[in-house]
Amino acid sequence: MNEQHPHTFHALARTAQQIRESRGTNAKIRVCMEYLRSIKEDEHLNLAVQFLGEGAFSDISGKRASVGSRTTSTLAADFCEIDYELVFKPCRTATGSSSETIEKLFTNIPAARQKWEPVGLSLKEIETVYEQLYNTSSRAGKQEVLEEYWRKMRPLEVKYFIRIMGRGSLRIGFETKSIINAISKAFGKDTEAVRYAHMITGSIGKTAVLAKNNTLDEASFKLFHPLPFMLASPIESRAVDQYSKYIAEEKFDGMRCQVHIEGDRVELYSRDLNDITHSFPEIIEFFAEKDLPKLVLDGEICVFKDNTILPFQLLQKRLGIKKPSRKILDQYPVLLITYDLLYHDGEPIFDKTLLERRKLLSGLSRKYTFPITTQKEIKNREHIQELFDLALAHGNEGLMLKSKTSAYEYGQRRKSWLKVKKAGGSLDTIIMYAHAASGKRGGKYSDFTLGISVRDDERYEEEFIPIGKAYGGYTELERLNKKIKELTVERYGPTLGLIPGIVVELEFDDIQRNKRTKANYTLRLPRFKAIRWDLSPDDIDTLKEVERMFRDNINRDRLDQTQAPSFIWK
Amino acid sequence: MEIIKAGSDGIYLPQLNIGLDYSGSDAEYVFVSHGHSDHIPRRSTANTYATRPTKKFMKLRNYRGQIEELNFGNSLETDTARITFYPAGHILGSAMTFIESDFGNLLYTGDYRSPASPASEGFQLPKEAVDYFITEATFSLPIYRWKSYTHLEKQICSFASNALNEGYTPIFLAYNLGKAQEIMHFLKNLNHPVQIHNAGFKLCDVYEQEGIDLGQYETYDHDTCKGKILITPGSALGNGFASNIKKKRIAYCSGWAAMEARRVQMTVDKLIPLSDHLDFFELIRLCEKLNPKKTYITHTPNPNVVLHYLEKRGIAASTLKQRQKTA
Repeated sequence: MNEQHPHTFHALARTAQQIRESRGTNAKIRVCMEYLRSIKEDEHLNLAVQFLGEGAFSDISGKRASVGSRTTSTLAADFCEIDYELVFKPCRTATGSSSETIEKLFTNIPAARQKWEPVGLSLKEIETVYEQLYNTSSRAGKQEVLEEYWRKMRPLEVKYFIRIMGRGSLRIGFETKSIINAISKAFGKDTEAVRYAHMITGSIGKTAVLAKNNTLDEASFKLFHPLPFMLASPIESRAVDQYSKYIAEEKFDGMRCQVHIEGDRVELYSRDLNDITHSFPEIIEFFAEKDLPKLVLDGEICVFKDNTILPFQLLQKRLGIKKPSRKILDQYPVLLITYDLLYHDGEPIFDKTLLERRKLLSGLSRKYTFPITTQKEIKNREHIQELFDLALAHGNEGLMLKSKTSAYEYGQRRKSWLKVKKAGGSLDTIIMYAHAASGKRGGKYSDFTLGISVRDDERYEEEFIPIGKAYGGYTELERLNKKIKELTVERYGPTLGLIPGIVVELEFDDIQRNKRTKANYTLRLPRFKAIRWDLSPDDIDTLKEVERMFRDNINRDRLDQTQAPSFIWK
Repeated sequence: MEIIKAGSDGIYLPQLNIGLDYSGSDAEYVFVSHGHSDHIPRRSTANTYATRPTKKFMKLRNYRGQIEELNFGNSLETDTARITFYPAGHILGSAMTFIESDFGNLLYTGDYRSPASPASEGFQLPKEAVDYFITEATFSLPIYRWKSYTHLEKQICSFASNALNEGYTPIFLAYNLGKAQEIMHFLKNLNHPVQIHNAGFKLCDVYEQEGIDLGQYETYDHDTCKGKILITPGSALGNGFASNIKKKRIAYCSGWAAMEARRVQMTVDKLIPLSDHLDFFELIRLCEKLNPKKTYITHTPNPNVVLHYLEKRGIAASTLKQRQKTA
């Protein structure tokens, strides 16, 4: 079937499902490779690989279908003529996936079955559906588009249509690395060449087409096509042998940004390679006026006021605003602090060492006066602590240690960059739900939804509300799971509802406002510190405590940039 | 009629002195629905009744008390009630208990499956009206709709033969009583030797005595299991079962296999949603057909969706409470 109609979306969905059902990376790669080979036209190959590897739109397009889970779920409930709250939601809780739930209900429920009739939509047609969704802003409008096409798909197609649309993982155990492998095997190309082309083009679909047509060498870096960022590993996970190999700079509490500049054309890209140019007009203006040569800079956007770097929470007020008002600009002025240079004098320089790139960047920063991080040689272990304390005093997150001889390893998270961070804080929380683990811990529960107390909080009727999800407890899995068994009161497929009884000390990097959660706050990088067998549900922290920590962090004293500054400007 | 749900001790009908899958000490008569250990009374001083296969399974599973045989088609009369077993289609010997009395007619399903498992006596409902219907609802959501046995049989046989053809040893994860034999019954036409975990092997005799063809099989043997079709409960895999075989393929056979999350949890090659409980849609259909005065839901992870569906169809229903007095 796949062989006959490889250009259909159904063939892609079947392939994804087959990959899902194959065990082992090699088996999965084989399935994908055969599928890629069966596709004749470049256009379809491009889309197939993009859908499998990136989502509805190419990463560099900056487009999103922006269809939330509630939009698809409520529409699906209507499609099945069932109650969303009473029927759909319990089903989703049981499967743990709304797209899987929709697939099952569309297959099982007679009212839904009558509505769909597969017409074998092509990949090209699906692309236009995603475009339509991108161009439709209202939920009702999006639902109209979705319903029109769901009627033309099989439930399996609908499942993958939703997963691809969500830009998340397809959940078939097949990530970019495997797709690159499949492309290189399908067309007999060197894996490294395929990977390189992917990094440069930023498009996995185009890369596949280049590989198929023996034109991988055409892939070259272009201005205004963002390059995946080089990332840092936590220092705990990578032992440092020689401090002299690294330089240190402060790790800013801001937003990573890549700047592409050609004359007065300046564009900004975020970590996920989205175009964020319009959110920060003052940065654009700043660089556009300087008459710079063609450049690509890597750095951090921070709120900077009264000569002080202000917390990320204030920068959040600027995110997602396409045309910030005068008031917002005055209240939360931002600055781009640069620390790397990727393109200079008409050519990419990410193969040069950090020292070489840095030398060029320093020269430019002096000549054109733009902010650049202060970098320090590390004398010894104690010196790291000293620098770290200073960084925190500045209101920054910690330190970055960067290997002097390293190239700019775009899209990689290796040992060349290390981050030294301090935990933002910890809370005593209660396990509310346990989620079944996968892989080698399969059958055990090691993923948890953790709650805080709102018992005496007049704003809530519940006793506990969720504050975050974390996994852990591996060293005490037996004891933990025994206790979980005793406390289980509800079972929703892979998820268990527990009577409050297990207290977990949860560590996190930061607290952020998030109006879409019950608590109105989310924790950044929550993780287990310890299971507190010694504590009871009466001991756990309250929402008020979370709110206090959030306020304290925003209002804490910050050292201004007068002495020993984190960055230099002018 | 007064119905008491005695927690893990089963169900007790005080006015009739009858216990259903009941381990407490109050009942004079106890009826055992089938041979799974969560339904076998843990102790009983009462007069205990079961079908012939269920009685044999209970004995093989070390039940120490006295058991009276009550087979399909026969009834037992007590001072206050007439009790009849009806085939439940769950596993061999599984029975629904139908009780006629002055307090009304009650049908307790135990675990049941309609359409019935091909390795059971079938599924049959009483012809008389049912006033009170106590039903399990293990798969109580519309995400569960089973494929036909013809389809499942094909899936099972092709999984085994494909694996064998490609030089792999196929392993089916299935529990020892019922599911294991059902799979063997499906596989018999492949004419390929099957090895079954020892605990399940002991129960196979009962199936053959009742005329169910299980094909060519022997007990699992570590040294000779390579290239055979293997059947075992999942728990044994972690304890060295077939650990000497490198090239193996594992299929997990259960209603829970309908969910993708199970794949990663179980680390298996194939999920085969083969259930010995009826699916959601069949459950609703059955309630509509019986149209009892009152339906009670028990043995369920989530009764709300079933209750909502029944309410919409005008069928009075609730979960079985600790102490239930029917209106």
